[in-house]
Amino acid sequence: MVTKEEVKRLSWLARIELSEGELERYTLQIEEIVKYLDVLDTIPLEHVKPVVAKKKYADLRPDESSGFEGNALGTKYRKDGYVKGPRMV
Amino acid sequence: MALYTLDLGQVAAGIKSREFSAEEYIYQLLERIEKVELKVNAFVSVNKEALDKARVIDKKIRDGEQVGALAGVAVSIKDNICTKGIKTTCASKMLETFVPPYDATVVKRLYDAGAIVIGKTNLDEFAMGSTTEFSRHGTTRNPWDINMVPGGSSGGSAASVAALECTVSLGSDTGGSVRCPASFCSAVGLKPTYGLISRYGLVSYANSLEQIGPFGRTVSDVVSVLNAIAGADENDHTTAEGKPMYSLRERKGLRVGLVREFIEGAEPTVAKVVHKAVDTLAREGCRCEETSLASVQYALASYYTIATAEASSNLARYDNIRYGFDLSPEGYEWNSYFARVRSNFGEEVKRRVIVGSYVLSSGYYGKYYLKAQQVRSLLKRELKTLFEKYDVLIGPTMPILPFKIGEKIDDPLKMYLVDIDTVVANLAGMPAVSVPAGFADGLPVGLQIMADEFQEQTMLDAAYLFEQAAKVQRSPEL
Repeated sequence: MVTKEEVKRLSWLARIELSEGELERYTLQIEEIVKYLDVLDTIPLEHVKPVVAKKKYADLRPDESSGFEGNALGTKYRKDGYVKGPRMV
Repeated sequence: MALYTLDLGQVAAGIKSREFSAEEYIYQLLERIEKVELKVNAFVSVNKEALDKARVIDKKIRDGEQVGALAGVAVSIKDNICTKGIKTTCASKMLETFVPPYDATVVKRLYDAGAIVIGKTNLDEFAMGSTTEFSRHGTTRNPWDINMVPGGSSGGSAASVAALECTVSLGSDTGGSVRCPASFCSAVGLKPTYGLISRYGLVSYANSLEQIGPFGRTVSDVVSVLNAIAGADENDHTTAEGKPMYSLRERKGLRVGLVREFIEGAEPTVAKVVHKAVDTLAREGCRCEETSLASVQYALASYYTIATAEASSNLARYDNIRYGFDLSPEGYEWNSYFARVRSNFGEEVKRRVIVGSYVLSSGYYGKYYLKAQQVRSLLKRELKTLFEKYDVLIGPTMPILPFKIGEKIDDPLKMYLVDIDTVVANLAGMPAVSVPAGFADGLPVGLQIMADEFQEQTMLDAAYLFEQAAKVQRSPEL
């Protein structure tokens, strides 16, 4: 059973503000979706290994910045060459 | 001559031989777009520089310079694939002002081959959806019946190809997002093996599942695009080594397995068209029989667990600080600014991010995510066994016909269930293509052909054989 409090907490963790209407609607819909995902509980999987990536780090290209020409940033909120964010405290 | 109706081979040959110019062809396409866009709404933006690019190609040809295999060919690009200097919005408010400073590898390779980007196509926001209804730019409509959805999430790409607004297109396929709209719009749409095509410059949604794939009106057109874009890329370490080239081959005696679970789950009208397709393949010398893929019953739950988990992680980067819409951070506290900003994601994106946070949350990880990855192993193992017996597996691409716009938009689970036949290839990392199979009630039905990893050539052999025998109509009157 998915509760309104759970959805509220998860949306906060995901940093998504929800209106009261969205909270009501999402709680019902997510309950239904999660119930469907519970089919995963019905399969005997004890001896099945999960999928893992095969590549090793040695396959990666050298970790060197190639940079971009021009402006990679879209924001207009800047000061003294820095990007402005909201205050921390 | 209506140049916009020509297929890729005809366009490339006509421009190279100077039978017509790239400029004339692009001009006609722009006129066509202006004429049909009010009905179809396939594009998010049209490239104003396309005509200039065409003139450059024409000059090169006049001057006797070497040009690429796709010289002058108009391609539309799904708006979640980065195009330098051209806005890439993902149909989201979160990226409404984003102009990428670089081209995706696939776009760069198309440019290298001489192709011209005619515009960016509509999609469900961040490629999350099966109908192209979840777009900030409005719904794309199915060119065969504008009251119906075109499928999704690459609905704009498929519709632009079917409506003759471009010659070929690129989409992305995380759980069927190329094949579903290809099926609903009577186009050819291919999802390659995981690692065949670089994802560098594709805006991430679910990295372990998604691939970029081409659309065309014929198998031949799709092969031409695939040859231009496939192959290793140092900027995407998941790409496989080498640079494969595919061709059109007359091949007889293919071993074809019709997946029982796919056909049993389909609407009777769809199943009928697919059975007819099996008869066609059998007449062409294929050895067809029914087979079973038992673990398909768990595929959708596995897919939506993994896709939403990866989405919740990938979309954490949208904080409106480095790029985003106009909302000053002045006066906001750190967390409340992000929560406010991110409330501007659309309905489906928010839903998936929250579901993803749920399945990854402490206490549920083993119950959902780990099991979903185990199902993935199980499914792959079962498919590998089947591919020892069959060259290709087939079934309907979609279990249902294109449905009315708005019909399923308020019922997310019902919407997810339509992906049942397509998610299998993404979970297994195997290639699959949707080829037009015919019509039921005047609406297109696609035949899905799947093959083992990196067996695209075999899959294309089957697709070409079927296409040549079935001769299904590709573009409607508009």
